[in-house]
Order: sequence, then C-alpha cells, then structure tokens
Amino acid sequence: MRFDPVSLASGAAIAALGALLLFDSAGTVDVSLGWMAVALTGAVGAILVLSGLLGRNGRHD
Amino acid sequence: MNDDTPTIEGPPEQEGPPPNEPSESSGGPRRLLRSSGDRVIAGVAGGLGRYFGIDPVVFRIGFALSILFGGLGALAYLLLAVFVPTDADPDAVQRFGSRLRGAGFWRTVGLIAIGVLVLAGLCTLAGMAAFAVGLGWGVPTAIVIIAIGGLLILAAFRGGARWLIAPAVALAVGGGVAAASDLDLRGGVGEREYHPVSVRSIPEDGYRLGAGRLIVDLRDLDWGKHRVVDLDVSLGMGQANVFVPKRVCVSGSTHTGVGESEVAGERNSGTDVDHSPGVGSVATPRLDLDADVDVGQLRVINSDTADVDVSGYGPGPFHEDSGPQRAAEARACGTG
Repeated sequence: MRFDPVSLASGAAIAALGALLLFDSAGTVDVSLGWMAVALTGAVGAILVLSGLLGRNGRHD
Repeated sequence: MNDDTPTIEGPPEQEGPPPNEPSESSGGPRRLLRSSGDRVIAGVAGGLGRYFGIDPVVFRIGFALSILFGGLGALAYLLLAVFVPTDADPDAVQRFGSRLRGAGFWRTVGLIAIGVLVLAGLCTLAGMAAFAVGLGWGVPTAIVIIAIGGLLILAAFRGGARWLIAPAVALAVGGGVAAASDLDLRGGVGEREYHPVSVRSIPEDGYRLGAGRLIVDLRDLDWGKHRVVDLDVSLGMGQANVFVPKRVCVSGSTHTGVGESEVAGERNSGTDVDHSPGVGSVATPRLDLDADVDVGQLRVINSDTADVDVSGYGPGPFHEDSGPQRAAEARACGTG
C-alpha cells in the first residue's frame, strides 16, 4: 500500500483549521480575522510547499 | 443501468482491455474516461467515480445539487462529456468532441472553461461554508471540516486522496473567514427600508438584517430640541444606511468587521473598523447609535437632502466630498 505524505500533512492542516473554527464557533476562543488569515494562509502555504517538494513521486510503497 | 464494466481496480477478464480502457498492468498513468457501462446520460459520473474510486452516485448527486446553484454543474457535465473520451468505441458525443479538439482554439477554450468552472465550484463551496457559519451552524461545519481532514489522514496510508485537498481548503477558508468576522446572517435576506415617525415605533432591539441592504431613515422623526434616540443596527452582510438630519449629533459606537465605514463624514475601510463618533458629547438632539456590520458597508449620513436610493457605491456626491457631513457633525455635537 502506498503512503502519501502530502495527503497526511494536508489532512492534519485541514483538521487543525477545522478545530480552530470549532473553538471559535463554540466560543472557547475568539479568533480575530487577522489571526484567522495567518492560520489559513499558513496552512495553504504549507500544503502547496509540500506538494511542490514531493510532487506526484512523493508517494512511498 | 450498472453493468459490470471492467475497471482499473478489477482484474482483466479478457485478454486485453478495450481500446481506451485504463489498465494498471500497462504501467501508464490513470486516465479519466467516461464509463460506457455505468452511465445515465454520458457516463461522466461513472467515469469520475471509477477514476477517484468512489461511488458514482456521489457525483450524480453533486451534479444535481450544483444545478440548483446557478447551473454550473450542468455546464461542467456538458464540458466533461464533450472533452473526456469514453472507455469504449467513440460515441456521438466523443465524435463531436473530437471535431472540436481538432481545432486547437476550441480545446483551449474548453480547458479554460473547465478551469473557471473548477474555480467557481471551489468559490461556491467556500460561500456555502460561510453561509452555514453565518446561519449559526459553525460547529457542524467545523465538524465536517475536521472529518474531511481525518479522512485525508486515513487515505494517506492507502495511496492518498489529494483531490479532496482543494474542496476541504475551500470549506475551511469560507468557514474560517465567516467565523472570524463574526458573520451573522440570521435576520432575513433582502432589502429593508424603515422610516419611523415616532421613537416608540423603533423596535427596542433595533433593526437587524442577515444579508442585503438595510435602510433606516430617521429624518421623519420629531427630534425636538432635547431628544436623545437610542438605536441598534445589526447587519450580517451587505450595506446598512442610517439617515439623520444634519442638526442631529451622531454619537455611540460602530463596528465593521470587513469593509467600509462612513459615519458622519468619517470614512475608513479594512478589517475590524471601529468608530466612536461624537465621543463625550451631550449635545442634543442626539442619536446614540450602536451599529454592527459584519461584512460590507456601514453608512451613517447626517444630511437633510441625501437620497436613500443612492447606494453610495463608487463615485457619487458622498464619496466625492464628505466635508459637509463632518462640518455638520462638529456643529451638532459642539465639537467644532
């Protein structure tokens, strides 16, 4: 079975964004638009960088 | 309707695959092909389901639902039907597509159109997430996003599911921005115009609108000489307009999450735009305003002649020069 690190990292980043949204919606934390923009661009940037570095050949058996 | 058409996952039952049939044994990259066996119209959903390894019904439901959101799904289906070949002998749609592809111009147009459609689809997803959060469904939306993230993590050990990344990011961006800007779309959608003629006719909890254009014209009120009117205005997304006579001092606090604020001649824009007009003023008549716009534009116009039908977007009398309003505010509040 092949392992895809890009999917793993993307899943973790997206789950983290979902958790941030969950905490904000539940009122546990109050995330400002500025910090949310930092989180979103950071996550998207990390996914793009990882995808670019590993490409399609990043999958391992 | 669902034939047992050989798929890329299934073992070959014949000596060789059909002309266009994708095969892992060939060692080549997987190709997206329309399904000749699992087809309702042109086999697009069947082909997508086989390519991504999920039930074609998911794509059929997606295409059907997307038709409700502007018909993008129908257009996407049409383009895929024309430009994606079938896994069997060319059908009429494929022959038509081949003729189009023969002309390079049309191929380019098709590719651009598909790109635009994909982008529009992602924007639609982001908008739907923002809408859901604005309606108060932030927690369920977050749970869906976390679940998709978990699915991606699990799929990473089974070859990955990179096609899920873009939709998941679109959902997270839409939901995240809506939550961070405290978008609140409860309160209805459309245009609301109020002209209260007495203070008692103003609702105690003020005026509220989810999305659209909200107009509160207080120039028909009997302001008298010493009257102080408390007013709450809340708008989720769109434009909120409050009109007062120029002899009325505007005080209180306003907040615009994302967008533009124009209060008694003071214009600011950006994120989290807060303004406190007439600070400390006890002049009368006075409007004590508490206004909140999540995304959009807030305008508090202190003018006797301003037209409520002029939206103020783009060049216009109130965008050209707001000096008269600032001067009127200074006079009315005694701060000039």
